[in-house]
This record gives sequence, C-alpha cells and structure tokens, in this order.
Amino acid sequence: MRIPDEERALAEAARAGDREAFAGLVRLHQRRAYLVARAIVTVHEDAEDAVQEGFVRAWQAIDRFDPSQGFAAWVNRIVANAALDITRRRKVRSTEELSDALRSPFRDPAEDAELKSRLAEALAQLPERARSVIVMHDIEGFTHVEIGEMLGIPGGTARSDLHHARQKLRTLLMDLRG
Amino acid sequence: MADELKFPTNGARADRDSLDESLTALIRDAYAPPDGDVYWAGLEQRIMARVASETSADTAWWSVLAPWGRPALIAAAAIFAVAGVINQQLVDSDDQLAYESAFQSSTPEVVSASDEIISVERGTDGATISYFLSH
Repeated sequence: MRIPDEERALAEAARAGDREAFAGLVRLHQRRAYLVARAIVTVHEDAEDAVQEGFVRAWQAIDRFDPSQGFAAWVNRIVANAALDITRRRKVRSTEELSDALRSPFRDPAEDAELKSRLAEALAQLPERARSVIVMHDIEGFTHVEIGEMLGIPGGTARSDLHHARQKLRTLLMDLRG
Repeated sequence: MADELKFPTNGARADRDSLDESLTALIRDAYAPPDGDVYWAGLEQRIMARVASETSADTAWWSVLAPWGRPALIAAAAIFAVAGVINQQLVDSDDQLAYESAFQSSTPEVVSASDEIISVERGTDGATISYFLSH
C-alpha cells in the first residue's frame, strides 16, 4: 500500500509526541472516520462522540502504530470500535428514533420527505450490523475485508451480511411502495 | 423479475447485487457528513482539546512524581543496604546458635563440667539446687 509522504511524515512526528502533527492527521482523516462512525451508530451526535473518542484513543496508542501501515485504516478501526462501544451502551432501534437521526440538521427537511421517511423505516428494520455493512460498502465504498476488520467479523461474513441486507431492504421498500 | 429495486428509477449498478443508484443516492444523502469547513475545524479543535487534556493529565502525573524520583531512589537503596546488613547479621547469629547447639549436644561432659564449676562457685548451700540443674 502506498502511503502518502505527508501522512507518513505526520505519523512519524506524531509518534514522537508532536501534537501539531497529530492535528494534521485528524484534519486529513476525520471526515472518513465520521462516515465510519455514522454507519455504525446512525445518530450524528453519537458519530461525533465516536470520532472524538477514537482519535483520543489513537493518540494514547500512537507509539503502537506502525508508520509503514496506513493511518486511515488504523484509526478507522479504532473509531469503529468506539462507535460499537456506543451502540452497546445506546441501542437506537425504533423507527421513530432512526427517522429523527436521518433528519439531520444538515439537509433540507422538506426535500424528499416521504421517501426519506420510508427509507428510514426500512433501514430501522435491518439488523444493526447489516445496516452498518450496507452503508459502509454501498455508500462509503469500503471493501468487505475493510468492513470485516472494522466490525471485527470475517470479510466473508461482511459479504454475506451485505447480500442479505440488500435483499431485505429491497423487500421492505417494495412492500412500502405497495 | 430482476433482482433489483426500481426505486424510484433504475440506474447503473456497480455489481450484480448492488442497490439501485437512486436508492443508494438517498441513503448517501441520509448519511451525508456535515458540510462546511467551520464544522470540521470545530471538531478538530474539540478532538485536539481532549488530546491536550489527556497529555497534560499524563504530564501532571509524572510532574508530581518527578521531583521525588531521585530521593526515592536513594532512600530505597539505603533501606535495601540496611536490610541486607541486618539480614546478614541474623544469618550469622543463626549460624552461631546452630554451631553452639550442635557443639553442646555432642559434648555432654563439657556441660557437666561447667555445671560442676557453677555448683562449686555457689558453695555447699546451693548444692541441692546445682544437683537438680545439672541433671
């Protein structure tokens, strides 16, 4: 894997205790880390908490990071673990809660309101892991292996989860469309 | 029937099993990260503030102990040395006692002789007591 020179330099400086260098890594990777967390926890505020917690844990463990590996993959695993910890503490299962979560303050609430409502209803009926896998793969573009590493499951299981999640989502949305 | 959801329109597929493009777009929109550099700059600041507090907490822990490091090492070395000397003395004392005990038990005539001396020193008045002490 080709690691950009800038990232490698920042990672090595951060390992030596340079906080400014670590801030540079945060700047580079926080958006992607947010997407990983959001796929798992669904709620924006929880995703933000998971990103913060993940980066703090990464700083605490920075001396164990191998700069020859990609920082993004390493920190995304840590953020995913932080997000999974949050889901274990806070279970967001009901359709109402998920609908609220998907009506984030960053989008026009009037836009496609009905479709979003139906989508939220369908997503809420998926198992948590299946929902995370489908968002990570189909929206964020992670591979099955990367998803497996982040969620602590084999890549084949991630692939299988994705297939079943897609099938179930199709069925649910077709039923909704009646 | 095709293994595909036409919701709301059919689009290009990344793989045979993939969801409809429009549905993917809807999910992408629902999960879209916050937009605007201000938000991300703020999040970075909050992360780095927590990192700084973690670092200062670590530093504070060490800074409290650091001045005591050298005296603590000297004190520990002194205690260790004194303990070693005391331990050596106890070992020597035990060896001496063991030697004396073995020597006395193997030479009963010497004990008898010393008892005789004690009884002579105490005179005839203590003869009876000396007799009991020596037997």
